[in-house]
Amino acid sequence: MTDIKKQKELEKLKKEKDEYLKGWQRERADFINYKKTEKERFKEVVRFSNERIVKSLIAILDGFDLAIESFLKEGKDKKENDNYLKGIYLIKSQLQDILEKEGVDEIKVKIGEKLNPAFHEVVAMAEDEKFDPDTIIKILEKGYILNDKVIRPCRVILAKENK
Amino acid sequence: MAKILGIDLGTTFSAMATIEGGQPKIIESAEGERTTPSVVAQSKNGERLAGTLARRQSITNPENTIYSVKRLIGRKFSDPIVQKDKSLLSYEIKEGANGGVEIKMGDRWYKPQEISAMVLQKLKADAEAKLGEKITDAVITCPAYFDDSQRKATKDAGEIAGFNVKRVINEPTAAALAYGLDKNKDHEIVVYDFGGGTFDISVLYVSPDTIEVKGTGGDTHLGGDDFDQKIMAWVIENFKRDEAIDLHKDPLALQRIKEASEKAKKELSSTMQVEINLPFITSGASGPKHLSYSLNRSKLEELVDDYIKESIDLTKKTIKECGLKVSDIEEIVLVGGQTRMPKIQEEVKKLFGKEPSKEINPDEVVSIGAAIQGGILSGDMKDVLLLDVTPLSLGIETLGGVNTVLIPKNSTVPVTKGQTFSTAAENQPSVEIHVLQGERPMSGDNKSLGRFILDGIPPAPRGIPQVEVTFDIDANGILNVTAKDKATGKEQSIHIEGSSGLSKEEIEKLKQEAELHKEEDEKKKENIEIKNNAESLLYTTEKTLKDAGEKVPSDLKTKIEDKAKELKEALQKDDFNEIKTKTEELSQSLQEVGTHLYQQQKSEEEKKPESEKSDEETKKDKEDEDKEDKEDKEEKDAKDADYEEK
Repeated sequence: MTDIKKQKELEKLKKEKDEYLKGWQRERADFINYKKTEKERFKEVVRFSNERIVKSLIAILDGFDLAIESFLKEGKDKKENDNYLKGIYLIKSQLQDILEKEGVDEIKVKIGEKLNPAFHEVVAMAEDEKFDPDTIIKILEKGYILNDKVIRPCRVILAKENK
Repeated sequence: MAKILGIDLGTTFSAMATIEGGQPKIIESAEGERTTPSVVAQSKNGERLAGTLARRQSITNPENTIYSVKRLIGRKFSDPIVQKDKSLLSYEIKEGANGGVEIKMGDRWYKPQEISAMVLQKLKADAEAKLGEKITDAVITCPAYFDDSQRKATKDAGEIAGFNVKRVINEPTAAALAYGLDKNKDHEIVVYDFGGGTFDISVLYVSPDTIEVKGTGGDTHLGGDDFDQKIMAWVIENFKRDEAIDLHKDPLALQRIKEASEKAKKELSSTMQVEINLPFITSGASGPKHLSYSLNRSKLEELVDDYIKESIDLTKKTIKECGLKVSDIEEIVLVGGQTRMPKIQEEVKKLFGKEPSKEINPDEVVSIGAAIQGGILSGDMKDVLLLDVTPLSLGIETLGGVNTVLIPKNSTVPVTKGQTFSTAAENQPSVEIHVLQGERPMSGDNKSLGRFILDGIPPAPRGIPQVEVTFDIDANGILNVTAKDKATGKEQSIHIEGSSGLSKEEIEKLKQEAELHKEEDEKKKENIEIKNNAESLLYTTEKTLKDAGEKVPSDLKTKIEDKAKELKEALQKDDFNEIKTKTEELSQSLQEVGTHLYQQQKSEEEKKPESEKSDEETKKDKEDEDKEDKEDKEEKDAKDADYEEK
């Protein structure tokens, strides 16, 4: 009787031991794997840690673009303004240099190009006979890529179907 | 074992998480974002898009871009909610064969669950790419008010996407799980979920074996997006008043204002005032126009006051409908990005008279809870649930009554930490190890867990003996403190059982006290440090003067002795500012001795060759160096301890 009891006890303990060993092994493996992925993640974090600041700098770059555009539209008649414009261009290119060094690339878009939602975001539609429907007729804001990630899509106006 | 994906399938956004290394973790989308828009589209060239890409093209393709499908899933077409929402949707819907809803996308009609499945498929593909393994099992969440048909449809969506849906759980339950429910007692909790497009309030009854939804309420068309709209309207109105230009018709201006408004709203959760600056927003007859307004927190609160009031009224109403009083609610959990707004947190706190749980990212808490449910089902969480953390820091009392922490609070047990300490007086024969629990820097303000004495330390100058103190907490929370003299190998230890046996209230009280006294405690600690530094400098001074003997010119010696006397007097008066100044003065004078000694040595060396330097002298130099090393180490240790406390 006691032998059977002992046998049962032994079996129970064996089962428990296996369970614990398995649990421990799994835990170790999980931990090592976690460390590996964490290492990868850390690399990612380092890569994108400047994403936030880059995003705010891009807003300033937009400001320069808008300033230059507005200037070309309204202030270009006056010859004496040329040097001011040149100065603004230079400040803008300083900022661009900084961003490029941080790994920021401008998304190249051509007017008349087909929409690609991986890089473009449609802000509005407009009729324009010169263009096929669903092609880009105007770029409102430039898009930017930071280390292969689209941090801001290029914002565009798309041609509507002509009626 | 295959991983289980926890999915928060939201009305506007979805998120996913899984268990990794025993901890829940959010999985990012292929676009690198922590949430994915719940949007699906069929582009004009027949390509199917899901998530961010679908959203980017929505304006060009409104009739084939399907969003908010969660509002339709599992409902009859005749359902008044469907009828009400119908007019708000840009895509076409009709009554299907079995009375359900069907949605037109491209040239086909889809069931809502098929559309949801496309969102889930995108999540599945992204998760598999990120994790590098196939995922089949999932736990999906749904609102607590979903009926059987809506739950079934949610499950179907998962199955269509290729998941083996282990369970469909309630969003509020998932949120509560993420916070780790106290299942040991029966109690009621409220989950206040203010998302982008919907506001949900749920009352849950938690008991040892069940979590029951007692009641739900809310507004399916109230969310954070409404807050953005309010800010946009305010900006546009101001601009119209100042410049007489309506920006509503300018798509780029609108886009920029929308982005700036959202950003301003988010920033006002952490700052009191933001600048909304949009240069060259448009141009008028007299050239370019700029937009620049400053928005402060109280103005924002005023703008959205009605919304917040409504949410609080709905909360009260729901609790009343459950036959409960506000005071019956023991825990409140905040979910949804909008709950980051301080005013909302404040109003919720005011209503319940207690602090809501808000530590976990409110955008992610539901998916994290779903992942935890998945982890429990697969056994991944079993071990983790057993592992406890130390609720308060554990440390020992050191010179001047300072609490030096060895195991900081929230350390997962089992854990072992050790640090080397030394003596504070000459020829000190024993050290007393006083074990403390708590967050306050001065030992007297903390709970004393026990004390013991390690004696038999051989006579030595202060700072020389090395006593290694080790704290070990085993998986059962039993603390074992050992002190060992490295020179003799002699050791003493103490077992402290139930070191974490404080009740939740006691722990909370201790933590709050620490917070309350933070400033004065820091001051006190700083003063002790000033005092300790002064005393240690006095000791060094005496020793230096004695060791150097005749080598110090008498005028310098007198100067130093005077300074030392002044410092001693300052110490007696407990005037900390003066102690600090006098310590600095003495330290500077003492440096002159060093400079002088080196100069002397140099000139002597020049006189006699190296080989004549006696052995004894070299040996003595070496001893001094060793001692300095030790002192450095001690100082470093002390600094480490400081660092841990923060």
